[in-house]
Amino acid sequence: MSSLADYFHTDWEAMTTNDWIGTILTVVIFLLMVVAYVYVLRPKNKDKLESYKHIPMDDDERIESGDKNGR
Amino acid sequence: MDAAAEQKYNFDVVRWFAVMAVVYVVVGALVGVYIASELAWPVLNFDSPYLTFGRLRPLHTNAVIFAFGGSVLMATAFYSVQRTCGVRLWSDKMAWFTFWGWNAIIVSAVVTLPLGLTSGKEYAELEWPIDIAIAVVWLSYSINFIMTIAIRKSSHIYVSNWFFLGMMIMITYLHVVNSLAVPVSLMKSYSLFSGVQDAMIQWWYGHNAVGFYLTGGFLGIMYYFVPKQANRPVFSYRLSVIHFWALMFGYVWLGAHHLQYTALPDWTGSLGAAVSLAMIIPSWGGAVNGMMTLSGAWDKLRTDYILRFLIMSLAFYAMSTFEGPVMSLKTVNALSHYTDWTVGHVHSGALGWVAMVGMGAIYHLMERCFHTTMWSAKLVNLHFWTATIGAVIYIIAMWVSGIMQGLMWRAYDEYGTLAYTFAESVEAMHPYYAMRAVGGAIFLLGAVIMLFNVLMTVKKASSEGTLQQARTAAASA
Repeated sequence: MSSLADYFHTDWEAMTTNDWIGTILTVVIFLLMVVAYVYVLRPKNKDKLESYKHIPMDDDERIESGDKNGR
Repeated sequence: MDAAAEQKYNFDVVRWFAVMAVVYVVVGALVGVYIASELAWPVLNFDSPYLTFGRLRPLHTNAVIFAFGGSVLMATAFYSVQRTCGVRLWSDKMAWFTFWGWNAIIVSAVVTLPLGLTSGKEYAELEWPIDIAIAVVWLSYSINFIMTIAIRKSSHIYVSNWFFLGMMIMITYLHVVNSLAVPVSLMKSYSLFSGVQDAMIQWWYGHNAVGFYLTGGFLGIMYYFVPKQANRPVFSYRLSVIHFWALMFGYVWLGAHHLQYTALPDWTGSLGAAVSLAMIIPSWGGAVNGMMTLSGAWDKLRTDYILRFLIMSLAFYAMSTFEGPVMSLKTVNALSHYTDWTVGHVHSGALGWVAMVGMGAIYHLMERCFHTTMWSAKLVNLHFWTATIGAVIYIIAMWVSGIMQGLMWRAYDEYGTLAYTFAESVEAMHPYYAMRAVGGAIFLLGAVIMLFNVLMTVKKASSEGTLQQARTAAASA
C-alpha cells in the first residue's frame, strides 16, 4: 500500500447491486447508531431515560395497589 | 401479595419451565462429562455407535443450548414480561403449547441424534421435520411475548424485554434461513447452500446464535434479575439502551471471523475481526452496568448466594467478550483456530456466563413462584462454588491444551519439516483432557445439587402449603 489514497481507492464502476445494497445498509446503520448515541447521551434526556430503570422495582407495588388485570 | 400475584399472572408455565431447565442442565452436563471422558479414555466408546463422540456431542450441545438454555429463556421471558408490563400473558393456551412443543422437540432430539439422524450443520443438527416444529413453537413463544407487550399497562417497554425481543426476531430469521434444505426422505435432507456459501451461512447462523440467543436473551435475564435480586435499579438505564442497540447492530457482522484462512474472501474475515473488536465496548459497558448495580451494596454478596451467581456470571461475560475478539484477530487465530482454546473459550461463555446467570435466575424464580425460600441456602452456596471451580478448571485445561496444540502443530525443525506428528500432539493432550473431564464433573456435581435443592423446595412449598394458599386466596379474592 503506497499511500492512504491507494488504500481508500474504490472502483465505483465495478460495484455490483449487492455491493451497493451492502454499502447503503452499512451507512444507514452507522447513521442510526450515531442518532441512538446522541439521543441517549443528550443531557436533556437523562432524567426521562433513567426514570425507566425503576420499572422492575415497582412491579410489586403495582400488585399491592389492587390491580387485578381486569379479572 | 403472593395471592395477588398468583391471580394476576400465569406462573404455572413459568414453574414448569424452571424445573425442567434444571433437569435438562443435569442431563446436558452429564452427556458433556461422558464425551469429555471418552476423549481422555476412548475405551468408554464400548464399540457402540450410539455412544460415540460424534453422535453424543450434538446431543450434549442441543441439551445444554436448546433444552436448558431454551427452558431458562422461556421461563424468564414469560415471567419478566408479565411483571414489567403489569399484565398476564396474552394467551395461557399458547404458553402451554410452547411448553409441550419445546419438550417434544427435546425428546425428538434425544431419540434422533444418537441414531445418527443429523443434517450435519453445527448447532443445527436436527433434521427438517424437527426444524419445522422448532419454527412453529418458537413463533408461538415469540407471538405470545410480543402480544403481552402489546397489551401492557406501562407506557415504556423495559430494556430486558427489548433484549428478549431482539433475540426472538433474529433467531426466527437465523433458524429459518440456516435450515433451508431439500428433503429427500422423512429423516434426510440436504442444505440449500453449498461450498463457501454454506460455510458463510453456517457461521452467520452459528455466531448469531451465540450473539442473540446465548448473549442477547441472557442479557434480557441479567437486566431484569440482577436488579430484582439486588433490590436496586440497574446502574445506568442509558448505558443499557446503548448496550442494546450496539449489540443488535454489531453482532450480525461477526460470523466470518470463524472462517479465517479458509476459502471465504479475505475481507470478510477482516471485517468480522474489526467489528468483533468494536463489540468489546458495548459488551463491557453491559457487564459494568450489571456489576455496578451493586455499587454501594457489595456486602449483599456475603449473604445472598443467588446474587453471587448473577454477579460471577457477569465477570465471565466480560472475560469471554474480551477473549473472543482477541481470538478473531488473524495473528491470534492462526494459533488458536481448530485447537482446544476455542473449546475453552466457548465454555467460559457457556459455563461461566450462560449457565451461571441462568441458574441465578432460576433460583430467584423458584423463591418467587413457589412463594417460599430455597430448601437449603447452604446448598445454593455449595453449588456456586462447585460451578465456579468446575468452570475454572475446565477453562484452564483447555487454554493450556489449546495453546500447546497450536504451537506443536506449527513447529518446524531445522529442515523445514513438522517437528511433531499429529498423533504426538494428541498424546500431549491427554492430561488436559482428563483435567477437563474432572472440571466438567465438578460442574455436573453442582447441577445435581441444584436439582436436589429445587425438588426439595417444590416439596417444601407443597408441605408448607404456600403455593396452595396463594392459589386458594387468589381463587376466593
